[in-house]
Amino acid sequence: MVDWVTLSIPFAYLGILVGSLAVFSSLYRKNKAAKAANLAPWFSAHLPRDIYLSLLHIDPEPGQPKIPDSILKAALLRRATEDIHRIVQIRNAKQALQVLLQRGSVGDDLWQRFQRAEKEIEEELRDVVQEANAFAPNWGQTIFQSASEMAQNAHIRESLSELQATAQSEKEWWEKRKAEIQSEFMKELDEEKKPAGVVTPAKPMSKADTDDDAVMVEAGGPASTPGKGKKKPQKGKQ
Amino acid sequence: MESPDTFTLLPLHMDPTTKTISSTQNPVPHALEAELASLNTLHRSLLSVDTPTGTPPPPVPVNPKRSAQITKLRESGNNEFRKSNYAMAIRMYSLAIEMALGRPGWEPSGLVREEVSGLYANRAQANMALGNWAEGAVDAECSVEMKKVGNAKGWWRRGRCLLEMGRLEEGLEWVGKALEFEASEGDLLGLKREIETKIAQRKR
Repeated sequence: MVDWVTLSIPFAYLGILVGSLAVFSSLYRKNKAAKAANLAPWFSAHLPRDIYLSLLHIDPEPGQPKIPDSILKAALLRRATEDIHRIVQIRNAKQALQVLLQRGSVGDDLWQRFQRAEKEIEEELRDVVQEANAFAPNWGQTIFQSASEMAQNAHIRESLSELQATAQSEKEWWEKRKAEIQSEFMKELDEEKKPAGVVTPAKPMSKADTDDDAVMVEAGGPASTPGKGKKKPQKGKQ
Repeated sequence: MESPDTFTLLPLHMDPTTKTISSTQNPVPHALEAELASLNTLHRSLLSVDTPTGTPPPPVPVNPKRSAQITKLRESGNNEFRKSNYAMAIRMYSLAIEMALGRPGWEPSGLVREEVSGLYANRAQANMALGNWAEGAVDAECSVEMKKVGNAKGWWRRGRCLLEMGRLEEGLEWVGKALEFEASEGDLLGLKREIETKIAQRKR
């Protein structure tokens, strides 16, 4: 006959062992999940997604038309465009982050946050494709192509408008600089003229001195006057 | 971002006649306002799409209508330039640039880059012919920004403008950068030599 009393002891032992392990494991996992959930999300709020889903959930008030499909499509496109930005960010960050993680330069938290973001973006893409296919057959295949072109195009326009915005100030700078150069040039001209001016008042002085000197100055005098005359029309041109 | 099955419900409202979306929040957060504005513009351009499903067509093939208009404007700009009607040429090129940048967002961005780069280079040339060095410099820079490789003309034009404005060091730096992309371009090498002699002269 089996002795049930003595046999119950090993069974109880096994039961307690397995039970305590199970409790520990479940508590540990819950703890870890809670910690992961408390980590700051990688990306901030996905505004276009919120807008799209909010539009989808608006209850049409009586007497008010429903949100037309075209707006929803536009909102979905905006959402896809934002997703493109995020994918690009994730892809750019991934390699650098892996290297940093291997070197131990960044904590495990950051890697966990990153992995969660990666998983989320995958889900998000799948969701967008599904929604797109619901609006039009096979739109899911091209929506991200369109979205990526839209992101690129927006970038082009942004950088161009930034550059073109400098045109006005550049122009003003150049106008000012041109005026400066011109006035400098004029000054130079004036300086060139001055010696001729200095010589004329010197005339009476030299006359008072000796006659020889006066002849010399007079010879210089006419030579400087044509120079003056030549410069004057140039002044008018500018 | 929150988990995939939740979202933040935003108080949005649609104007029943104009079909524009606005927020009933007061005051509207800046980011939301900007996002809604771009949504409404996108919606308007989406309405003009003539696909049966009302969704934007895939990037290729491109609607040829706009391309033809841009080409026409560029051609007339070139004609005016040849006739030395530089101001008119600048206006034509500006219109063409506007046209090219007005392409709906889902059309290929590579095409836009190509078109706009050529147009800005042309406008830079017309500006240079008028002696508008500052505008020419900015236009040439735009052209290069859109297309760095195979755009020796754009690189050269900005270098020339900088030289004309007496910004020699900046010009030298610019031409140096240009030569990284277009190493064997004779014009650029010539321009570089010219700037270098100017700098040497000024130092003397």
